[in-house]
Amino acid sequence: MQVRRVLAAIALTTAAGLLASACSAHPAGPSSGVIVAVGAENQYANVISQIGGRYVRVTAVESNPNTDPHAFEASPSVAGQVAAAQLIVQNGAGYDSYMNKIESASPDAGRKVIVVQHVLGLPGTVPNPHLWYSPGTMPKVAAAIAADLSTLSPAHAAYFRANVATFDTSLRPWLTALAQFKAAYRGTPVAVTEPVGDYLLQAAGADIMTPFGLQADIMNGVDPSPQYVSLQDSLLAQHKVKALLYNQQVTDTLTASFLALAHRYGIPVVGVYETMPAGYDYQSWMLAEVSALRKAVASKVSTEKL
Amino acid sequence: MPRAGHSLERPWNDSLERPGDAAMSSLLRLLFAPGFFASSPVHVALAVGGIAALVSGVVGTFTVLRGQSYSGHALADLSVTGGSASFLASISPLWGFAGTGVIAASIMEMIGIRQPRGRDLATGIVRGAGLGVAALFLYWDTTSTSTTGATVTILFGSMFTVGSSAIPLVLAFGLPALAIIAILYRPLLLSSVSADVAAARGVRVRLTGLACLIAIALAVSLAAVTVGAILSTALLVGPAAIALRLTSTPGRATVTAAVIAVASTWIGVVLAYDSFTWPPSHDGWPVSFFIVALIFLGFLAAQLTGRLRRVGG
Repeated sequence: MQVRRVLAAIALTTAAGLLASACSAHPAGPSSGVIVAVGAENQYANVISQIGGRYVRVTAVESNPNTDPHAFEASPSVAGQVAAAQLIVQNGAGYDSYMNKIESASPDAGRKVIVVQHVLGLPGTVPNPHLWYSPGTMPKVAAAIAADLSTLSPAHAAYFRANVATFDTSLRPWLTALAQFKAAYRGTPVAVTEPVGDYLLQAAGADIMTPFGLQADIMNGVDPSPQYVSLQDSLLAQHKVKALLYNQQVTDTLTASFLALAHRYGIPVVGVYETMPAGYDYQSWMLAEVSALRKAVASKVSTEKL
Repeated sequence: MPRAGHSLERPWNDSLERPGDAAMSSLLRLLFAPGFFASSPVHVALAVGGIAALVSGVVGTFTVLRGQSYSGHALADLSVTGGSASFLASISPLWGFAGTGVIAASIMEMIGIRQPRGRDLATGIVRGAGLGVAALFLYWDTTSTSTTGATVTILFGSMFTVGSSAIPLVLAFGLPALAIIAILYRPLLLSSVSADVAAARGVRVRLTGLACLIAIALAVSLAAVTVGAILSTALLVGPAAIALRLTSTPGRATVTAAVIAVASTWIGVVLAYDSFTWPPSHDGWPVSFFIVALIFLGFLAAQLTGRLRRVGG
């Protein structure tokens, strides 16, 4: 009786699974036409799916908003995803170097690998690897994705090209918000815990007062010097900054103490993320970060979590 | 690449300049980089580091006298397990360090093998198992929570990020350790010379031994906060070993060890602060390196003077 019920349940779930995969494979079928793609971080996976649309099936390696991607360790299931992938987008700049190891473990001459750091022509030693926060990054990545998808599936090249145009247009509200912030609040002093949002802040014309050495120490998980800690404390306690950008994915006792200081002295906090938070796509995430920054600077309202 | 961040325009300026004692002022400047006395992370490091060093020096003397250096080392390694667990539970790592230390001390005493060989084996096996669990906890720390740098903080300490809220906790763990040594001073000494003689004089040897192991566990967990769990044995046995070479009575050795431990910790803090401008990174060398290096140099010097004295005499 018990066994039968279990067997029935298995049969049902298998059927449902087959049905689901048949539906998602529409219109091309599971093996023909649909390109299997992997984004090392979910923001890149999101852009792949916006460009590839119904002709790609995308998975993201890193999408847990509660972990630090710098400390990510790949599991066997990631190796399986990578081995099956025809297109991979990864950040580079040492941010996801585990991807290189997995890729070389399952060599595939036909696999396309887009390294964003290479697309932007940056050296591997670039100090701040959070490249997707820079407004110039994703249009170039989208174009590179479309080019590789077109090579893999030439029949749909026009479709991919059209999606790139749609994507570029959809970035405009974000770029406009950045320009408006820059026009109104250029040179606004801000503190950060980590360089995660630095490219965005620079594009918004903000003045990052936290020494890069402290940001790098926190990013790399090493003990910062007391001079840096004193300086950051004074930025918050003496109201020398208008906002604290707090990386929700990289926290420790030190960043928690900065957050507590910001609360005590009424410095608005803006939460920033290493990977795309749930409920957003890339564009709406970036726009939400700029809106949160503006709310903090203009009306002293914190947005600790998106 | 855009240099995010600001030139350090020294908001921590000291008011050392007073007309009249320019020479004194420049000497102070040479020894203490600007802002040392005004820096709150330095104040906390001096307080927490000082207490931890004092307790380590005192307890360490008895650790060395009783031949329990290896137990101390094992307790330090085992505290890694508790430290990594406390990061998972997001409580102060001191709770974890001390908690596992005291539990491990009880287990080690319960196993209670008298012969040193068997004791070392039991200690080694418990230590290995504990570190294995620590590996699991540290993996979870980095993969399922957002604590970054947990591994470095646990293994090598993080004295400048402790925060002043830790001071009462450090006192709460440090004072019982000192109290144990003060109350059991004579029985501990007696049983370290000969367990049989001590038992004949009415000393409860096993209870005394357990109390001493707990004191060691507490001392090691305090040192784990300052110089890290891996290096905490250096602070426990190093100053004691130097003191026992320089002095002839246990009382003097205890005081000397405490002074050496506190001095090397405080000088280490000063050097770590001064190293801010040193190559290659220009953001300072780790304080735990300085403290352990100073203790090691002190040990070498004590060895050397001992040898010279022997040659001379």
